[in-house]
Amino acid sequence: MKALMSLSALIGVAGLLLLGGMVLDIVPSTTIRLVEGYMPMQLLLEMGCFVLGFAGLSYILNAMGMAIPRFWQGIGFWVFFLLYLKYRVYPPIPFSVRAMYGTVSLVAVFMWVSANEEDWQKFKQPIMNVLDAQTGMNKLLRYAYLVLLPILIGGFSFNAMMPKSEEPIELRTVHPAPPASTKVHGKTYTLQTSQNPYRVNTEGKYDQEYTNANIVEQGMGRLMKPNANPWDETNQGYLKYVREGGEIFFQNCHFCHGDNLNGRGLHAFAFNPIPANFTDPGTIAQLQETFIFWRVAKGGIGLPNEGFPWASVMPPWEQHLTVDEIWKVILFEYWHTGYYPRTWD
Amino acid sequence: MMDSITYKAGFMTAAAFGLFLGASFGSTVVSAQEMPEGFKKGDLAPPPSAEMIEAGKRVYFTKCVWCHGVDGAGDGPGADRLWPRPRNFNQGTFKIRHTASGELPLFDAKKPTDGQNDLFETVTHGLPGSAMPPWEGILTEEQRLQVLSFVTTELVKDREFTDKESETQTVLNLGALNPKEATEESIKRGAELVVEKKCVECHGMEGRGDGNAFNLKDDWGFSIQPADWHKCWNFRGSRQDPYNVRNIFRTFSTGVNGTPMPSFADNTTVDERWDIANFVNSLCERDSLGNPLPIDPLTDKPKINFVIPSDPVEGEIPTDIEAEAWAKAPKRIVAMGGQITHKPRNFVNRIDDIWVRSLYNEQHIVYLLEWDDRTKSVAEGRLPWEPTEVNIDVKEQDPKTGEEGSIASHQNNYTVYNDAIAIQTAVKWKELPAPIKPRYLFGTNEQFPVDIVKWEADGSLRAFLGTGWDKDFEERDNYEEDMKLLSAEWKNGRWYVMIQRPVGNNKDQDYDEDTFFEVGQYIPTVFFAWDGHNGDAGRKMAVSAFYYTFMNPPVPQETYIYPVVIAVGVVLLEGWVLTRRANKKKGKML
Repeated sequence: MKALMSLSALIGVAGLLLLGGMVLDIVPSTTIRLVEGYMPMQLLLEMGCFVLGFAGLSYILNAMGMAIPRFWQGIGFWVFFLLYLKYRVYPPIPFSVRAMYGTVSLVAVFMWVSANEEDWQKFKQPIMNVLDAQTGMNKLLRYAYLVLLPILIGGFSFNAMMPKSEEPIELRTVHPAPPASTKVHGKTYTLQTSQNPYRVNTEGKYDQEYTNANIVEQGMGRLMKPNANPWDETNQGYLKYVREGGEIFFQNCHFCHGDNLNGRGLHAFAFNPIPANFTDPGTIAQLQETFIFWRVAKGGIGLPNEGFPWASVMPPWEQHLTVDEIWKVILFEYWHTGYYPRTWD
Repeated sequence: MMDSITYKAGFMTAAAFGLFLGASFGSTVVSAQEMPEGFKKGDLAPPPSAEMIEAGKRVYFTKCVWCHGVDGAGDGPGADRLWPRPRNFNQGTFKIRHTASGELPLFDAKKPTDGQNDLFETVTHGLPGSAMPPWEGILTEEQRLQVLSFVTTELVKDREFTDKESETQTVLNLGALNPKEATEESIKRGAELVVEKKCVECHGMEGRGDGNAFNLKDDWGFSIQPADWHKCWNFRGSRQDPYNVRNIFRTFSTGVNGTPMPSFADNTTVDERWDIANFVNSLCERDSLGNPLPIDPLTDKPKINFVIPSDPVEGEIPTDIEAEAWAKAPKRIVAMGGQITHKPRNFVNRIDDIWVRSLYNEQHIVYLLEWDDRTKSVAEGRLPWEPTEVNIDVKEQDPKTGEEGSIASHQNNYTVYNDAIAIQTAVKWKELPAPIKPRYLFGTNEQFPVDIVKWEADGSLRAFLGTGWDKDFEERDNYEEDMKLLSAEWKNGRWYVMIQRPVGNNKDQDYDEDTFFEVGQYIPTVFFAWDGHNGDAGRKMAVSAFYYTFMNPPVPQETYIYPVVIAVGVVLLEGWVLTRRANKKKGKML
């Protein structure tokens, strides 16, 4: 038990030091990388580690006779949580959202310290002591609070009332509902029934199983299967079209969507929000191939109202590419990210 | 002890080199050259294992082949539309190294140590300012070493990384050198040295890369341009740490292979090199307090704030850039990408950021726009289309590299048009129903148009109405007299343009064509920029995202009154709590 607690105390201290470093800008906030797509789980796990660490820490300090009073534990945890939200979570959360989380966690801390009468007494004891001011120290504190509180609160309200120019927050629907059908280069495609004509096996027959077996491997690096090199000259069917799609991608799309299809292309930094990240499990992995076909062909202009057209410079690719080229690019995107397109059934 | 050994070794090679020189010229023996200061002799790394090479091939054909090509000749499908172009590995010419000019870079498949493995660091951190991304977090360390094993053995064809006969390694001992503190004196000496060492001939008087930008070619005959010292986040060798003076010191000491940038190791002392590095580093853009700009880890470029604040001014808005009001006005960076949505597409945009400041008074709002442009361009050729025309017939696919008319052959070789800049604001931005917004490029339709103010280097300032990406602009001929060009100057590789336009008012104007600038509101604003020497004209341009012009309201009276009221309230509350507590206690005691 003791060893276990010491271990978690160690974790707690290490975590606190790391966070402290990030707050003071000594340790860059990217020291422990947040992996895209797994970030929420990672953050929850980290929080778990911290809570475990704190439990251990308070146990050890207790055993050493240096227990932290409940009052300071509560405040400490709340402050820790606020700092964690502000300095650890990336991309940064806007203040309004942090304020909401802060309030919720404050309530949670209150529930924790007032779980039973004894705890609550212990928690409010320091406050009462200051109010009663029976010792010299407390008297000093009381007068300090008397003067400081009005100044602080006045200052905060002054700050809040000063006109500010923070970026307005705009919500948008990432994947708006698609239409039933779309007309590209004079031909109408029904989204429910259309198929990618290049998702074919070596004999040229539509074959989902074959093509899914030849995409890149999931896992670090997302490398191609050893015997499925699209650059092999003898390829027929799927892999040949993957290569042709890649050629189109690297002449048209990578400027924004990036060499690794992660939305960090050459021009990406100029746009807001930055272009879609296909390696994120929340984009093409969740969508049908025909949805992508519609989005690629119609671009930002073709977005319905809820898609906030003004935030997208996605070209309507029907202006630049043929229908065949669009299908090939889509084929390549799924190959390169190692995702299967969603199907209707 | 260590030092004397390295010194000795250095002396021996230098002496051998001297003998060789003497023999080949058959003249007097050149006085024995020493190893350049700060360098030490290095050993060639052992060759990577066959398994590493084989595994690396798999990485290469998944990730790299698309730009670098099947044979590593820098001619993959992506290459035709990229500038700078992808590296041609065949000659073994690599830019960012710790080794002396002309030597192969450091690479050891078993040692991914910073400062001892140049190629590994390049793949890890990418080459900012080019299309090469950082592969850290995408490929594992092992995979990065594997792919480099493949590239250095199979794709570098003209040289041999393990050939002791022909290859040497003279390594910059950067780890053992301590940067000199960037004192005013050091920076001043650096400023003198860049003139003395002729750096300014290429990099320009202010270091904006505007020296003899048109005569420079790389080893493959492609046009290249000197670095702009004010954008350190675009330095190829910045290693995702752009304000670190060591990176500049390294590039300056070892040169950039394959380009006209030489190594200055032989004709500068280490001390002088630190001075120069400090000076170059001091030029990189900083915030108003002189601190480095925060870098966004998602893009490795400065973090962007999408609000452009405009401060109020009493009376006339100063036209002098040096005026105090301008010095105090907040300065914001606006990132620019190539316009690749509609034809003609601009894959190679030379303008990648603009610095914007703004001031307003009761009648007018003024934008001060500054951006680096290596060349002042005033139209020499006639535009093939009217500036208001957007629907023009252009050939979509540019010819391949090597053919006439390709992007590569066009670099520094376009018909010159006007440099230009435009500010686009949404008309009727207040009436836009919630989800509907004007289209980014030239507005949505007649119902929700945009107001475009465009300045061109021939001195013209014109106003247009945009009603959709596919509609020709309407020139608003009655509006020009309301606007004023306060100043426009090109100096040492940078444009300074000050444009004044009316803010309008609510009473005697309707806003069908014109944007009403209301104080305290977010007014959607987009910037367009054209570099005339890049063949930019019409829709071939650089674009920004939507920003907001925000005219800071003068501070209202209430801001000073209410906090005081609140503070007094808190004092009363405190008094109440204390009396209550005291009474309660008294009650208990009794």
